[in-house]
Amino acid sequence: MSKLDHPAVVEAAAPADQREVLTQRRTARFARVDPKGKRVYTARERAEMLVDEGSFVEMTPMRSAGAGAGSGVVAGWGTTDGHSVVVVSHDAAVASGAIGAVMAESIQKAQRFAIDKGYPIVYINDSGGARIHDGIFALHGCGGIFALNIEAQSRIPQISLILGPCAGAAAYSPALTDWTVMVKEQGQMFLTGPDIVKAATGEDASAEDIGGSALHTRVSGVAHLEVDSEEEAFDATRLLLSFLPTHKGGKQKRHDSVPANPHAAAALPTLVPEKSSIVFDMNKLLDGVLDNGARLELMPTHAPSILTLFARIDGHAVGVLANQPNARGGILDSKASVKAARFVEFCGRFDLPVLTFVDVPGFLPGTVEEGRGVITHGAKLLKAYVDTKSPKLTVVVRKSYGGAYIAMGSASLGAHANWAWSGSEIAVMGPGGAVALLHRRALKEAEEPTVLRDELAAVYREEVARPYLAAEAGIVDDVIHPEETRDRMIGALRMLTHGSGE
Amino acid sequence: MFLARAEIVSNVWKIVAREGDQVGAGDVLAVLESMKMEIPLVAQQGGHVSKILVELGQIVQEGDPIMEIDETASA
Repeated sequence: MSKLDHPAVVEAAAPADQREVLTQRRTARFARVDPKGKRVYTARERAEMLVDEGSFVEMTPMRSAGAGAGSGVVAGWGTTDGHSVVVVSHDAAVASGAIGAVMAESIQKAQRFAIDKGYPIVYINDSGGARIHDGIFALHGCGGIFALNIEAQSRIPQISLILGPCAGAAAYSPALTDWTVMVKEQGQMFLTGPDIVKAATGEDASAEDIGGSALHTRVSGVAHLEVDSEEEAFDATRLLLSFLPTHKGGKQKRHDSVPANPHAAAALPTLVPEKSSIVFDMNKLLDGVLDNGARLELMPTHAPSILTLFARIDGHAVGVLANQPNARGGILDSKASVKAARFVEFCGRFDLPVLTFVDVPGFLPGTVEEGRGVITHGAKLLKAYVDTKSPKLTVVVRKSYGGAYIAMGSASLGAHANWAWSGSEIAVMGPGGAVALLHRRALKEAEEPTVLRDELAAVYREEVARPYLAAEAGIVDDVIHPEETRDRMIGALRMLTHGSGE
Repeated sequence: MFLARAEIVSNVWKIVAREGDQVGAGDVLAVLESMKMEIPLVAQQGGHVSKILVELGQIVQEGDPIMEIDETASA
């Protein structure tokens, strides 16, 4: 009897039945399996919510790790604002989203597709890490995901959302991506969970203590944005993607130019306190220069003495870096340097112009900062600026001293255009410190040293620190009035991008 | 009860709030001087200033407590 004569085979080959089989399989696959724990949405619902309505397509919906359980991940593509995006969404309903060999293969397939075709990839993470049952095959699969995360860095934007407890490999992959968003009191990232921590070191700590968003968006800097809900995480992701090209070398997403906030623009000439020791809110200054529209600040609660945000000017998507005098006086320290360097490096990688607004008292010195390796971290910021080839525009709005002057996008690091406001100071150190060194002997012998120091500092400020010396030497291009900043930046950006925004 | 802490190594330049004062969230409690900047120490939440833990001119490290505030006494 040949195979074709077998009654079961003949029956299964009937066309009508095959349609029914597929329908049944699809129904089974897409049946809502309630996610475990406090989760409201399934992995598939999350992917669908992230992208434009009705645009999500799962790549290999039949893929299974056995026993009809699915692969543990929903991977596919869709669009945000009409632009293609690849999405990987861990399925916590299958073995807590643990990454086994089949799941790893499905994730890698999506990564490979995104890299080869040049689409951003969003990872919706909700996984306990490598699947122990799969042993070394799980580890090998996780390693493969990491390798593709790294390959993707030079090619496409990668965004990670943390929507559940993510341990081990599920925490490491986000660390290899560009931006990580955590949902408050829902998402955690840690090497291992509380039980293993207790067994390993004896430390009693909750999942929130060792890996919550409070820790990672304020102290460690492992994550870059904290949001209150999954919906907000998806909104933030779409907003972030709206500023980015789909891939390195891809078209920049240019919008129509929108004027700056008129009130903020009118306030610019008087916004910055004349006395350089008095703090102010740098956001108000940015309001007066940038397009009045959507912005996204990253790491707002980590190293807040420096602001890093995506915004638009003249419709160009730009990365903005600015000292924030309102937080710790706007100083640069280890954490601020790492935050700034990471941001500049990202902008350079995806050809986003970098606008730098400078009002910096310097690098914070002392035993604590030296112990944290401020030299190494500060050096990263220098390197990031030099390596960045996209348009770099810098304006000193009040003061810029010493090594911090160099680090904040100076001409020496390759700024394509740089200006200083008329009331600003650029010097090797602040007037007080400079005269204390330069006039040490005179001050020691003076009857009223503080009076003499103030007098000498005033002279130093006017004769040495004012930006005209720098402008005459060609170290800044021009000295400008505050209200001229926006037009100068727009003009330079049009010139540097051949008017195209590319 | 919570502690308002120095966010940067600095010297205590001005003590604005006094023991017994009622303060609101966002009020300036003290001004710390560091890197020639006058850095305001702001109340994270409102309450009653129960104890001032530093003296004028004292050098404080990042994280050092400056004031003790009893938020349960908030008006």
